[in-house]
Amino acid sequence: MIDDFITLLSAAFVLIGAFFALVASIGLLRLPDLYSRMHAASKAGTMGSGLMLIALAVHAADSGVFARALAGVVFFLLTAPISAHLLAKAAYAVGYRLGPSAVRDEMAGQDTENPR
Amino acid sequence: MSLFLVNVLLALAWAAVTGSFTFLNLAFGFVLAMGTLSLIREQVGSVGYFSRARRVISLFLLFIYELILSAWRVATLVLSPRMDLKPGIFAYPLKVDRDFEITLLANLITLTPGTLSVDVSSDRRTLYVHAIDASNPEQTRRDIAEGFERKIMEAFR
Amino acid sequence: MSFAETILDYAVNIALVILSISFILTIIRIVRGPTLPDRILGLDMLVAAAIGFIAVIGIKTGYILYIDIAIALGLVGFLATVAFARFVLSRGKTEDELLREAKTAAEAARKKSRDEEKRVAKALKREKRLSR
Repeated sequence: MIDDFITLLSAAFVLIGAFFALVASIGLLRLPDLYSRMHAASKAGTMGSGLMLIALAVHAADSGVFARALAGVVFFLLTAPISAHLLAKAAYAVGYRLGPSAVRDEMAGQDTENPR
Repeated sequence: MSLFLVNVLLALAWAAVTGSFTFLNLAFGFVLAMGTLSLIREQVGSVGYFSRARRVISLFLLFIYELILSAWRVATLVLSPRMDLKPGIFAYPLKVDRDFEITLLANLITLTPGTLSVDVSSDRRTLYVHAIDASNPEQTRRDIAEGFERKIMEAFR
Repeated sequence: MSFAETILDYAVNIALVILSISFILTIIRIVRGPTLPDRILGLDMLVAAAIGFIAVIGIKTGYILYIDIAIALGLVGFLATVAFARFVLSRGKTEDELLREAKTAAEAARKKSRDEEKRVAKALKREKRLSR
């Protein structure tokens, strides 16, 4: 009974994770400008891969594997915003501007650190 | 901090006594040690430790909740047939000032619905945040100030 | 095979199909660009999809060791994105600026070669006159 429950749980995690990965890539394709696309990749993408890792750990039902999967998920949650932030900062510093649909840009002409 | 150390030592002692150093047993020992410390919290003065632990945990839970919400928000936005976005960058005045807290806040902002931190001004007073819906920056600013920033200040001050 | 395992089997196959579609969509974005950061973002997303792929294949085959590969791939992907971001910063120019520079350079080169041609033609004419 408990085994069946664990199997169903990991099946659900796999499906939800795959769904979020799909959403992230559709967002990458449909959203209008670079900075909006980053939203899709950094949130839905992380969520998708993290959920699928957890599904593998749940399926394995082994405490060592579970600890490693948890460490991996925490690692992804820490690094995904950092890489998105670095890329956005670099792109903005170099001069890639917001898309035509942008309504405001309070950063224009502001004094920001620019380590080149 | 020293109480945290005591907590870890008690967990190690539990693992040594039961003779198995698996992750699950260590975690169980940690929870047990926490329970023990909470029983004698009046005597050893660990009341602050427990309220702080509760606040850190509530920050963590808030974060998980916001992450799920934000992934869901992105999903509905992306899958809706007509996207009319009003993206933009707005400035957010920081109240936290330590590097560690700014980093944590920037990371949390990136993983929450519709916002992505882009840069920090060189005087560390302003955070530039890209929002997927920047039509009402006042509202978003208030949400961040009353959500994450307040929780971070509660947990680490 | 129990009922739950059958469901897991179906779920894994469906997930593989969905992940393949997501792979293809991401690659379309990488090919289309239009700018370098867009492509880097696509590569980052590709790594995330690959991690998902590895985890699903781990469930399908039952090799738990795949989880270490997935974590290592996540590490490498993060470092690659950081390095690419540094590259964007150190290149220091957008595609539009590069295009404009290339255009002015091409214009200058064309002008130079036209001048050169004129000079050579003049010299040839003088040569002919002298030899006559």
